Amino acid sequence: MMAETDAKPILSARDLSVHFPIGGGLLTSKVVVRAVEGINLDIPAGSFFGLVGESGSGKTTFGRALLHAAPITRGHVKYDDGEAAYDLAQVSKDELKEYRKRAQLIFQDPYAALSPRMTVRDIIAEPLEVMGLTATRAETDERVREIAAKCRLNLEHLRRFPHAFSGGQRQRISIARALVSQPRFIVADESVAALDVSIQADVLNLLKELQKDMGLTFLFISHDLSVVAHVCDHVAVMYLGRLVETAPTRDLFAAPRHPYTKALLSAIPSLDPDHESTAQKLEGEIPSPTNPPPGCKFQTRCPHAIDICRQQEPSLSHLGLEHDVACHRWEELAEASAEA
Amino acid sequence: MTEPLISARDLSIRFHTDEGLITAVEKVNFDIAPGEVLGLVGESGSGKSVTAKALMQLNAGNTVYDSESRITLRADGADVDVLSLRRPKEMMVIRGGAISMIFQEPMASFAPAITVGDQMVEQLMLHSSMTKVQAKDHSIHMLERVGIPEAGRRFDQYAFEFSGGMRQRAMIAMALSTKPKLLIADEPTTALDVTIQAQVIDLMKELVDEFHMAILFITHDLGVIAQTADNVAVMYLGRVVEHGPVRDVIRNAAHPYTQGLLNALPNLENLNSPLTPVAGDIPSPLERPSGCVFHTRCPVFMEGKCDRDVPVMVNQSGDHAAACFAVVNQGGA
Repeated sequence: MMAETDAKPILSARDLSVHFPIGGGLLTSKVVVRAVEGINLDIPAGSFFGLVGESGSGKTTFGRALLHAAPITRGHVKYDDGEAAYDLAQVSKDELKEYRKRAQLIFQDPYAALSPRMTVRDIIAEPLEVMGLTATRAETDERVREIAAKCRLNLEHLRRFPHAFSGGQRQRISIARALVSQPRFIVADESVAALDVSIQADVLNLLKELQKDMGLTFLFISHDLSVVAHVCDHVAVMYLGRLVETAPTRDLFAAPRHPYTKALLSAIPSLDPDHESTAQKLEGEIPSPTNPPPGCKFQTRCPHAIDICRQQEPSLSHLGLEHDVACHRWEELAEASAEA
Repeated sequence: MTEPLISARDLSIRFHTDEGLITAVEKVNFDIAPGEVLGLVGESGSGKSVTAKALMQLNAGNTVYDSESRITLRADGADVDVLSLRRPKEMMVIRGGAISMIFQEPMASFAPAITVGDQMVEQLMLHSSMTKVQAKDHSIHMLERVGIPEAGRRFDQYAFEFSGGMRQRAMIAMALSTKPKLLIADEPTTALDVTIQAQVIDLMKELVDEFHMAILFITHDLGVIAQTADNVAVMYLGRVVEHGPVRDVIRNAAHPYTQGLLNALPNLENLNSPLTPVAGDIPSPLERPSGCVFHTRCPVFMEGKCDRDVPVMVNQSGDHAAACFAVVNQGGA
């Protein structure tokens, strides 16, 4: 068990880039999609780390790169849980096998992620068998029952097939499968996005509970900022493959610094019917990652863009305890909003 | 009180399936006035889409409407009994005539091999007396109206060349180009990012004012409802459990299900408040609960009462009503 104050990162990305070449026929030239570009980020061990952004922002690709499930074009990803350490950019086959036991993924769609032809028991047991973590069938069953109980699944249902379960129950099965190998690091990619609100809260509470019980670190990828606000202790905001802001959750929601973060927050529909949004609404859409604009990637939609934003890409500046923002004008804008 | 544009009375919808007759919607009543936005909220499986599709008779061939179910459309002074329409020719009054519909996934609503412009022109040729040239001009005008840049060039493109937000705008333009009296919007913003969702919601509000049409807005997102609807009906397992003006329903939710939905939502004003799920799972449609359909998950369940009798709608104040025995008790005090 790691001490509470230990801020040692379990994963750190340095200048991480993931590019995908597309097209490139006989006569056409190759186009490169810069899905993730130059990201520096530390994920503290034991944290529930939120990653938000619109579709096309590269958050899924970033999550996959941390699992060595997307090709790392440039930069490094270091994993260190105190017992094992790997550099994912140059990991050997054997090391990768070990890493798979320690890092797992929970998918978005619980309907697509479970094989309809396998019983729940077999679905949960599969990682144990593939990774050779158990010696006997009895031991496998024991592990399956243990994790199923933790995920609040009815043990009598283990012999059933997935079609007999509702969305929330299926997502609990997916979680059990991801956790059965006793990983340390979990990427949860939009894991509650397909669930109804009444069930969503239940799955979120379960994830938090499991995190505490098993000492897990989560990278929680979501487009839903209100969910992230409730479950995550840190949040990173991505836009067009770049990290634009990262901060402890409370700081980010109390005082967002990047114009994009502000716009995202103000776009959440308020439950108050008389609430008139005063914040600036964003025009236009996220540009294509094959043809990103010069300078700051957000300048095409930013209400505060000036000449420097169109010419020079801002780097992350450190503005306080764990709060970083990539914006040329954040200081100016913070002063202006303090005066207003 | 203006006369409603469309009203549903005792609407019950069942489906023939291999596993027997499944009840999707049971005794649903609602009215939509001209220019009104009615929000229909509920979880998956609550019957909201089936209800909406009934207004245009879009449900599949295995659908059975109860004999007392009535949907009445008041178009141009005449009443149309929607469920009695049989022939495609008769249906033109509703489909593409008085009613248009937009869907969650705009990519699925455009034919992939026909240009967006051709699809817009096609429906205008069918439903209006415009010439081809007029239809093209009108379509380009509508594309401009919903904020698509370079509409003239976009008109000749295919749906896959549009981004998600742009496709949704194009679908709205197409749905509105025939000037429907009622627009059915089935989760129109669910597949969109929040910033694009905000744009589409603003656009729809503007268009309601401009065209003075009514909207049936289906969503599972109460925040979206709060920002768009005048009135809201909350559905659970095919029943409307609560309806009323949006402020009353959100601020003074009477039904335990509505209260549960509101409590389950993350609240940005208070990050310390725990997330409270609605206990249990939505029952399978094959095991429809007796009595009040919500009793298997209800925190104020009264044995012998809620599992036996079906609660009726009881007025709370004005037009705000809820169907729950526990609420009757409180309200009577």
